[in-house]
Amino acid sequence: MSKIKTAKSFEEKLKRLEQISEMLESGDVQLEESISLFEEGIKLSKECLSILENAELKITKLKKEISNNSNDEGEDE
Amino acid sequence: MNEVKQIFTVSELTQSIKFVLESAFDNISVEGEISNFKSHISGHWYFNLKDENAVINCTMWRGFNNYVFFTPQDGMKIVVTGKLTVYPPRGSYQIDVRSMKPAGEGELQAAFERLKQKLKSEGLFDVERKRAIPFFPNKIGIVTAIDGAAIRDMISVAERRFPIVELVIIPTKVQGSGAAEDIVDSLNKLNKIKDIDVIILARGGGSIEDLWAFNEEIVARAIYKSRIPVITGIGHEIDFTIADFVSDLRAPTPSVAMELATPDRQELKNAISFAVEKMEESLVEKIQEYRQRIDDVIDSYMFKYPLEKVRNFYQKIDNLFYKISQQIDKKILLAEKETKKYFSIISSYDVEKTLKKGFALIRQDDKFVTRKQMYLPSEPVIIKFYDGEVKLDKK
Repeated sequence: MSKIKTAKSFEEKLKRLEQISEMLESGDVQLEESISLFEEGIKLSKECLSILENAELKITKLKKEISNNSNDEGEDE
Repeated sequence: MNEVKQIFTVSELTQSIKFVLESAFDNISVEGEISNFKSHISGHWYFNLKDENAVINCTMWRGFNNYVFFTPQDGMKIVVTGKLTVYPPRGSYQIDVRSMKPAGEGELQAAFERLKQKLKSEGLFDVERKRAIPFFPNKIGIVTAIDGAAIRDMISVAERRFPIVELVIIPTKVQGSGAAEDIVDSLNKLNKIKDIDVIILARGGGSIEDLWAFNEEIVARAIYKSRIPVITGIGHEIDFTIADFVSDLRAPTPSVAMELATPDRQELKNAISFAVEKMEESLVEKIQEYRQRIDDVIDSYMFKYPLEKVRNFYQKIDNLFYKISQQIDKKILLAEKETKKYFSIISSYDVEKTLKKGFALIRQDDKFVTRKQMYLPSEPVIIKFYDGEVKLDKK
């Protein structure tokens, strides 16, 4: 479950980071806001990189009944 | 040999025919074209095999037809192997088919083309209906054989590129009899799971027979019906299956399918670094811009002008002060002069008059001695008359 959260939050964090970068680039924000956005951006970038570095692939195998129809009756098409 | 001609009952004759035919043709292979193919709900197949001049009924029982890797279609040329059976209640004979195969490689190709045309005309391959593959998948469903190279390749690609993702693998038969049905079943099962973002339908390379399940109509329709976008990675670069045409994205191999389903970790890192760099640049630029603005203000006329004005005022005041003081000095000097003049005139005027009358003035040290106390006995005395002065030296 935490895995799902990680992937979701990674996407959100990355999106926010890109948004911040664009906002700063546009130059529409005041200096004080710029600095707090910058701080947020740096924090996000570190978190994103750490997620990428530390992620471990999770594999789930679904069970499936053997679909050999020779031994079950009343099979439908 | 009997002299009396034997009279059979129908059953007896049929039994004899059955015996003769079934023992004579108990293991035969026949080539012909399929017609009237019916897959009964019971799972048995009924069809005719024909050529230009003859036709023969065929049955293929459930259990045997499970081992046929393709679904027969009318018009397909096949070779069946089985035995001849006689059905006494109807007095008919038929081939009890144990196995079948296409009469040649071309047959599968032809079947492939027929299905492709059919599905294409139904709009299953339309580009407009292809769904977008999400850029950041949380869960990828994988329909493939659990023990193949394909799954190992896909896992290693996912591990390298985007280990944040979760792979949901549904082990599936992808080759031989029942493979098509199993693929359909797997696709349906994955579609019942809520949070799967994309499905990869994959199989490693193989012969056209090995890959045939992906050319079956039911697989094509299941892909079309899938709620979740499907990426196919079947066989090698050169292999195109019907599934590839229907899928939302076709990859040449299973590994590439996984690459298409996942963003690359290294690229993401680069993107993050790039964003940070841009942020830094923007901020430095912003600060520089503010600094420039401050400098501009400091250097501006507005700021310099008042200082100069003050200096100007200083100078002006100084000048005025100088002028004024000069004027005043002059006036004072003049007044002093005048006063002196008038004073001397006035004073001399008075003294002259008195002297004229015969009075005299006594002077010591240039001062008139007007009182007794002022007289200095040791000092010389000058007596001033109207007509001159006399100096009395004290010896």
